[in-house]
Amino acid sequence: MIIQVEDLVKRYGDFVAVDRLSFSVTQGEIFGLLGPNGAGKTTTIRVIMDILSPDEGRVLILGEPPGQAKGRVGYLPEERGLYRNQKVLDTLIYLGELKGVSRSAARERATSLLERIQLEEWAGRKVKDLSQGMQQRLQFVATLVHDPEVLFLDEPFQGLDPVNMERVKALIVELRQAGKTIVLSSHQMNLVEALCDRILLVNRGRSVLYGPLAEIKRDHAPNLIRVRASHIPPNLPGVVTTEPDDDAYNLILADDSSPQDVLRALLDQNVQIQTYEVAPVPLEDIFVAAVSGDEGGAHELA
Amino acid sequence: MNWRKVWVVARHEYLANLRRPGFIIMTAIVPALGLVVLMLGTVFAGQAKRLGSFLEEQFDIASQSTGVVDRSGTFSPILPKYQDQFILYEDEAQAEQALTDERVSSVLLIEEDYLETGHVVVVTTGSGFGAAAVSDSPAIRSFFIDHLLAGQVDPALQERAADPLDVESRVISSGGETQGEGPLGFVFTFVIPYILAIFLVMTIFTTSGYLLQSVAEEKESRVVEIIVSSIRPVELMTGKVAGLGVLGLTQILIWLISAAGFSGGAVALLAVVGAATIPVRVLVLGVVYYLLGFTLYAILMAGVGALGATMQESQQLAGMFSFFAAIPYMISGFLFTNPNMLVARVLSFFPLTAPTMMMLRLPLAEVPWVDVVGSIVVLLLSIPVALWAGAKLFRVGLLIYDKRPTLKEIWLILREK
Repeated sequence: MIIQVEDLVKRYGDFVAVDRLSFSVTQGEIFGLLGPNGAGKTTTIRVIMDILSPDEGRVLILGEPPGQAKGRVGYLPEERGLYRNQKVLDTLIYLGELKGVSRSAARERATSLLERIQLEEWAGRKVKDLSQGMQQRLQFVATLVHDPEVLFLDEPFQGLDPVNMERVKALIVELRQAGKTIVLSSHQMNLVEALCDRILLVNRGRSVLYGPLAEIKRDHAPNLIRVRASHIPPNLPGVVTTEPDDDAYNLILADDSSPQDVLRALLDQNVQIQTYEVAPVPLEDIFVAAVSGDEGGAHELA
Repeated sequence: MNWRKVWVVARHEYLANLRRPGFIIMTAIVPALGLVVLMLGTVFAGQAKRLGSFLEEQFDIASQSTGVVDRSGTFSPILPKYQDQFILYEDEAQAEQALTDERVSSVLLIEEDYLETGHVVVVTTGSGFGAAAVSDSPAIRSFFIDHLLAGQVDPALQERAADPLDVESRVISSGGETQGEGPLGFVFTFVIPYILAIFLVMTIFTTSGYLLQSVAEEKESRVVEIIVSSIRPVELMTGKVAGLGVLGLTQILIWLISAAGFSGGAVALLAVVGAATIPVRVLVLGVVYYLLGFTLYAILMAGVGALGATMQESQQLAGMFSFFAAIPYMISGFLFTNPNMLVARVLSFFPLTAPTMMMLRLPLAEVPWVDVVGSIVVLLLSIPVALWAGAKLFRVGLLIYDKRPTLKEIWLILREK
């Protein structure tokens, strides 16, 4: 286990920001830490990064308490920036040295990263001379100078244009392929869906949904089938209602029925089927439904 | 404490601030001033006395013509040696006309009962300061004394009464050493070390100001969260204090080397014996107070700098420390007269004023050892307290963006375990 959080509690005065939160992150996965604003995501990350101390609970990262593994962890905070009046390469070297890398190694790695994000010609220029998109790419690679094993990315796509968003997304995929473990916090649900293996949805400091993304999506899929067929027989077993929709039909299934049962019934009745699909449920809908319906109990799926 | 990371921060702060235009200008001031003084010294070396007389004449109002209306009869006729400078008028109207026509610069109206009352009216044009200058003028006093004693006493006694003192300053320390012989000796023994002390105090505030600026900049640019994910806040603060402390010492070293160089130049050019007479005690204690004062103020500045949401807010918060530091300056006029006065001694034991006060007192007099030891002990005890409070404010304040914590919140931060 790369990260293990057990019964974490963090309070600010009387306000409980994180309330008995437990989860774990395994080697090489992209783990989505999701939740509405003020849910406690950033506080949780700050505790794991040893920026804040927990009030209760146990946190282990790379098998060690927070703070012991700082040199092996990278962090891209939500509130981020760089020294505007410093040179690009000097900034990367300094941040690498703060992670415990030697000056020469930091220089070598920083130069290679600048090439990777096509900013090598800007190495000797001041950060403030870079465009906003360039600065955002630079901030991203600033977390990689020490070649971390684990990466925390808090809203990495925030403020990026579509081109830079794709670049950052490609970098994240590349990092996963290189065996890095990534914790991703984002409000861009389409990107979370595309990247994450497992997610934890937090609301008011508590766990609301937790587990593999595919499993969560399957369990939250509505009982809706979209079929393009010659006709739909009346009183089809397992179907509650049938609604024509353009050149297709929407079938709402009974709770105890499955898409496989209905498909079998259609075939048994010799219906000519052109397309048959379980209607996908966007993660955003699951997110909204889970947060709106959160009455305090965690819905443990994994 | 990870000392390697502290070193990385210290080096970064040192190099980043060494290039600041403000630091370069401030550091260059002393050598530049020394160069100007040395050049002036070279030009006027042989004419120092004449230059002094010239300056004295500019400030002595009585060196210009003075009208006299003598109703007492004591000053009529005017003695031959004063006739070039003092002109007798029959009445007040004539004298005032001469004043209006700028034939005289002031008029003395000496009343009939002068011998009994000493009453003299001084009439001048312009501000009332002219009358005060006339009454304090050595030439006017000599004029009165000479006329009062003429023919009454021995001429030698009369001359001595008119100019009774020719002062030469000489201060003996508790060790029996003689300091500051002659007017230039006074300048080199007291004035130059005093100016140096003022520069040392300025260094405390400029370098701790850089620290405030550095913290506020990191917070404002949001780089701080990346930094504190790599290094503990106390290590970050220690690195900043160390780096900027050494930066201040660099400045002082450059000043001392240039001052020593120019003192040597002064010896050669002005033939001043013992120009480089900044006492070792003042120098050593000056550096000790610099280090203690800087450390105390830098820690407080770091804590306060972390609380402000913007640079401007941080500077406003730091203003309260600048106020305390300015108190010794406010009473520096009295310090010249009595550097060991009670108020100065009391302020030497208050942590926020002790470094400034002691630095200003040291060059001016033999400061009691109890004050030196006591103030150093107070500062040594205050630094851990400041570190405790400063580190807490720094740690929590760094991550509070977009708002300044209230006093109640600051109190809660300090009470938090």
